[in-house]
Amino acid sequence: MRRVVISGMGAVSACGNGAQALISATQAGVSGVRPVRFPEIDVQRVGTAAAMSPEAKAAIDEEMAHRMREPVANYALLAAREAVKQAGLETADFGDACGVSIGSGFGGAQTLNKNYLKFGAEGSMRLDPMSVPKIMNNAAASWVSMEFGARGPAYCMATACSSASQSIGLAYQMVKVGAMERCLAGGSEAPLESGVFRVWELLRVMSATKNRPFSKDRNGMTLGEGAGVFVVETAESAIARGAEILCEISGYGTNSDAGDLLRPDAERASACMNVALQDAGLSASDIGYVNAHGTGTVANDVNEVDALRRVFGDDLSELAISSTKPVHGHALGAAGALELVSAIGALHEQSAPPTINFTEIDSKIGIDPVSNTARAISTDAVMSNSLAFGGINVTLILRAYG
Amino acid sequence: MSMDKETLTKELIALVADEGMVDVSDIAPEKRLEDLDIQSADFVMILMAIEEKYDVYISVDNELSEVETVQDLLDLVITKIEEAQAA
Repeated sequence: MRRVVISGMGAVSACGNGAQALISATQAGVSGVRPVRFPEIDVQRVGTAAAMSPEAKAAIDEEMAHRMREPVANYALLAAREAVKQAGLETADFGDACGVSIGSGFGGAQTLNKNYLKFGAEGSMRLDPMSVPKIMNNAAASWVSMEFGARGPAYCMATACSSASQSIGLAYQMVKVGAMERCLAGGSEAPLESGVFRVWELLRVMSATKNRPFSKDRNGMTLGEGAGVFVVETAESAIARGAEILCEISGYGTNSDAGDLLRPDAERASACMNVALQDAGLSASDIGYVNAHGTGTVANDVNEVDALRRVFGDDLSELAISSTKPVHGHALGAAGALELVSAIGALHEQSAPPTINFTEIDSKIGIDPVSNTARAISTDAVMSNSLAFGGINVTLILRAYG
Repeated sequence: MSMDKETLTKELIALVADEGMVDVSDIAPEKRLEDLDIQSADFVMILMAIEEKYDVYISVDNELSEVETVQDLLDLVITKIEEAQAA
């Protein structure tokens, strides 16, 4: 079987443009969370999100302006450009040999929201004529394919908070079996629109204060936005091009709970991690860092730690586990990609990024998730989990290439 | 807005019955919500109604995860409403 590696990565997030900005922020524990206000929500209950600054958004809008594109596609394009540049891909490397696998949970939220407001509030039927191509979930994947002339298979996983992780996992599998030589894989999400924000408020899983995963006083998650894209290819092709290999994707597991749409299932999440370990040919004890899904909701945190205990044993004190969501927010369909960038940062810097905003160990959970400051690790294998609504679990395992 | 606890309790019981779609006569403080067939999706409806009526945001988290009986729910919601009114 062919070995599959990552030879380029790119990200845009509330932590700034570029994968390195995200790695630096997660390592230093500098949060991109800022106040957000939506004039259309008359009484807004939750006042923060890991949003890009208004200046950064305006700059992207200007640089990327296209009447058939909105932020969700722009973010993906920016991340893909960075990844492609780092991997040193040239025109001849695309074509039929290169696929695209870029997921999104919501697709074109901005266009959808503007249309609803125009129709609902103004009663106007003069909606955006380019709405369909802007809203469709695969727009980001297609724009990336067009930008580079990547004419292999193009996929768009729309599996809520597991979209990006499954997209990357699918790319890994396709490259591994030889269905494509390389793939631009990741996820993109631009959900910080009034209507979307309000329905998250109504589901009551957002914190009105601060996002504190695994902490006793946690009370919900904080939304984020952005995109992460990777060049996933065979080790052979990366080496032939003289590209620097960032890491190997050594294991992928995905399964579903087939249980409850919203309530997670620890047994299934643990089974998913075991599938990935088996795929990687590793034991649990080989993993030196876990980037947890760690949303900071009681349902996730209790479930995920239960699942981790089933895989890694009752005593989790020796394993570095953290959630970087308080830094880059919960970016839904982009979450797994932003978190994989953070996990690569951990592998490269041999440093587990901290779970910031942590105040106190919760006796129900009983772990200290690398609280508040980064912790040195010594490992060549890291894991990243995504556990989505819909009962869709994903685990990716990365190894130092050698 | 300030009101005595008894009135507030009565209002809240009516609201829980309404949003949880159970007969108000079935609701007693010691009853377990599970036995009344009030599930997590009903909680979201109850909390939305509380937000509209009392102007307080309660997330489906932490303290709420420990609520088992009608009385637990009332205690939590009344505390939150009082906190919001004091703020």
